[in-house]
Amino acid sequence: MELTFLHFYPDLMNLYGSYANVTVLQRLLERLGHTVNVKMIAPGDAADFANADFVYMGAGTERRQKFALDDFRRCADDVKAAARDGVAMLFAGSAMEILGQSVTDADGVTVSGIALAPFETVQRAKRIVGDVYGHTELFPEAVVGFMNKSGVVTGVDTPLLNALDMGHGNEKEYGPEGWRNANVYASELTGPLLVKNPRILEHLAAAVLTRKGLTLPDEWPVDRWARKGYDVTARELAARRAKT
Amino acid sequence: MRKALAIIACKLGYFVGKLVGKGSSLPGKWALKICPDILSKVRLPSVIIAVSGSNGKTSTVEMIAAILRADGRKVIYNKEGSNQTEGVATLILTNADLSGRVRADVLLMESDERYAARTFRFFKPTHFVVTNLYRDQLTRNGHPESVYDALKPAFAPETELILNADDPLSSCFGQARDDVTWFGLNRCDFSSPAPTGVYHDGAYCPVCGGRMEYDYAHYNHIGAWRCTSCGRQRPETAYTATALDLQAGVLTIDDAVTVQLAFKSIYNVYNILAAYAVCRRVGVSAETAADVIGNYVLKNGRMQTFRLGNRHGTLLTSKHENSIAYDTNLRYVQDCGTPCAVVVIVDAVSRKYFTSETSWLWDIDFDRLNSPNVKRVILSGRYCNDLAERFAYTTLPGDKWEVIEDIPAAADALKASGDEEVYVLTCFSDRDKFLTLTEREG
Repeated sequence: MELTFLHFYPDLMNLYGSYANVTVLQRLLERLGHTVNVKMIAPGDAADFANADFVYMGAGTERRQKFALDDFRRCADDVKAAARDGVAMLFAGSAMEILGQSVTDADGVTVSGIALAPFETVQRAKRIVGDVYGHTELFPEAVVGFMNKSGVVTGVDTPLLNALDMGHGNEKEYGPEGWRNANVYASELTGPLLVKNPRILEHLAAAVLTRKGLTLPDEWPVDRWARKGYDVTARELAARRAKT
Repeated sequence: MRKALAIIACKLGYFVGKLVGKGSSLPGKWALKICPDILSKVRLPSVIIAVSGSNGKTSTVEMIAAILRADGRKVIYNKEGSNQTEGVATLILTNADLSGRVRADVLLMESDERYAARTFRFFKPTHFVVTNLYRDQLTRNGHPESVYDALKPAFAPETELILNADDPLSSCFGQARDDVTWFGLNRCDFSSPAPTGVYHDGAYCPVCGGRMEYDYAHYNHIGAWRCTSCGRQRPETAYTATALDLQAGVLTIDDAVTVQLAFKSIYNVYNILAAYAVCRRVGVSAETAADVIGNYVLKNGRMQTFRLGNRHGTLLTSKHENSIAYDTNLRYVQDCGTPCAVVVIVDAVSRKYFTSETSWLWDIDFDRLNSPNVKRVILSGRYCNDLAERFAYTTLPGDKWEVIEDIPAAADALKASGDEEVYVLTCFSDRDKFLTLTEREG
């Protein structure tokens, strides 16, 4: 089956190796025998949501997030329609904030988001950083990553991670992190998220395949390096948590 | 009274610290506790030079010091690289007499990008050099633009800025100022038509967000840029590398001064240009500066040669969490053309703090190792699996790289077979874990 990805602003929203979220999802689907066509969308480019199977945007600086949002507002209706239609999406890093009602920068200037999600973001001058070890309701294993953001996100109704044992969530330390509504995933965790967490990668791949009416594999192909890398990071973070 | 007490405490602390081999920031910290505004009460030399930026600070400072000394000036600078406020306080106070007069012609400081604004609250540099700003230690620094915002308040109106014209981000410090001295490198044989690397931080204008175009690039997004929207572009340079032959190691500055490079790297050329520019601005002649640079041997220990069994090797210190530092060394390995084995070690991400963050591996251009001279790559250390996952997405054939988590086992594997040169790429935090297994040279 031929699958189409829309990768928004790969040269603008490109911090923390974000692009690798797309790369690993592409490779997993290819290993399952599908053909993946990734369309890179720069500001101003046309984007065909009607034929999209996965929509992605990665992390950017606060200035670049504003430049991205200035362009992405034109896609608001299309994104909402695609979300209703069950298209799988991931908004990683500060791209998550774009989905909400508004983003207020450290100088107090507020701009509107695309209003797909109910939350609001207020950025601060002092950044929120640190390793994260948390849990999701999607699967039993811990989720690992690193938080590197400036925004405090309030009003999240359906977080991706419902509890953290270590690190900062949307609003506060140990609080819930990210947002998920059906097949739309958002998280400010770096890692990149899908590289460091093979189980979230499988869930997103499943979302893409299920919507297309394709059967899921009985067993997901194992990427041993990703799996071992996850094990080491989970072990290190658990040990760190026990110490503090 | 408090001033003298603070100076005495600092000098004593420094002396004792030297005896027990402790760092050089603690004495300054004590002095600042005793007298918080001590740095505004000292009498400083008439020339005060600060150097900041993501990469090249230490090398640039060392070179400036060498040139100024050759010009007959007494220079004091933070040799130990203690570049936060406390380290600078230690430097100043240990060189002051009890009245607070600093006995030197030039005060020269490497300054941490994030602490510079705090350090220079009480006194202002006469000259401020910024080497560049790019992705470095993002777990601590957030991203290059947050470093930009943190550094900007460090520049007083009376301070002369010496800036890199080829860097689209740090050049923004020169906006709305007419006293900037620009340095840069003209197009040369190895310049590429467009930026290189995994990510492209020069794709959009940092000021207006417009699309940028390049006439040429020297490495990553460093080159001749211009914004197609707001019209900002690489400024005209006052001190310029007008010709550069990296193979022969010959650099020409301003069509007049020829320098033989001791270390044939493009990054070294930028450090030289920065040092040359500021030294000329404080009155050093072109001949004196060129003479020192031509005879200058990089002393900061970033390269260490060794023997490992019947192999010869070089450890190239790359900073973890700094993709351009890695790209620098990958390019060095690729360009040298020597048949070699390469070891990449990521064991502790930082020597200063705990983190399991490895997303920076995805910013490094490891494809450069897909080069005919690179015969074998070994990935080692605690985060070898993250490295392997990254390598699984490079163009390197799978039979060219292998994973040996244990660092001594990786060294043994190299000893057991082959005799090519070994290049080890790793960080300060991990370098001794390999070097202690070798016989060091020099």
